[in-house]
Amino acid sequence: MDKYGDYLYSFALHRIQDEFIAQDLVQETLTAALKSKDNFKGKSSEKTWLTSILKHKIIDFIRKKYREPVLQDNILEPGFKGDIFDETGKWETEPAKWSSNPELLLEQKSFLDIVKKCFQDLPKRPSLALTLRELEGETTQTICKVLNISTTNCWVILHRARALMRICIEANWLEKKD
Amino acid sequence: MINHWLFRCKDISYLISQSMDVKLPLKIRLGIKFHLMMCHLCLRYKKQLELIRKVILKIEAEKEADSFTTPLPEQIREKIKNHLKNH
Repeated sequence: MDKYGDYLYSFALHRIQDEFIAQDLVQETLTAALKSKDNFKGKSSEKTWLTSILKHKIIDFIRKKYREPVLQDNILEPGFKGDIFDETGKWETEPAKWSSNPELLLEQKSFLDIVKKCFQDLPKRPSLALTLRELEGETTQTICKVLNISTTNCWVILHRARALMRICIEANWLEKKD
Repeated sequence: MINHWLFRCKDISYLISQSMDVKLPLKIRLGIKFHLMMCHLCLRYKKQLELIRKVILKIEAEKEADSFTTPLPEQIREKIKNHLKNH
């Protein structure tokens, strides 16, 4: 507890952004760890083991939360604003050139800040899907389960999350550059 | 069934995203490749999505490197300790 409490708490807080829930999750994690400590065979470090328990607790929590059908976004609707194609399926708003050397963008703080901001501004569900996919490296199968949606809808959400990110970055970045 | 040699940009933008999450069948992958050879806009789109993926990972790595930890409040720490003792 003394050794990993702060670490687990920070980890949970970072992902859940609610201190009370994060505290509960730490308690649940340590309780579960204590109960099953015989299963811990020292294959991984204690820290990794506790982190993996915590990750499961976080996913369980999110799953329960999203089972309640209060989904206020329109991310799965056909006329969603991320669609930028004409009726023949061609680009209506063409993706703009961001830089003559895109690799350099990775090193530019102002660019990273825009990406950060756009990520924070994503609606809840696409944000969650993208976080699970890109940061936790979860498969679409897991994401569908967590969000309680079909596989197809899962791909649609990820696609639209990326499209929203791209549009947001483009708008802010080009404005800054000019 | 959509002819995979004649994907529209709209289909391709979806497939590019999907290909980042799952391995698509060879036919589809070839169809995408074929489209990208002729369409610089979709190619740009693909590169931008890949860049966004890289940037998100980079931001996360930097956050963790900062190793900014939030300590557990003392009362909560005691509460959890007590809870664990009773198990």
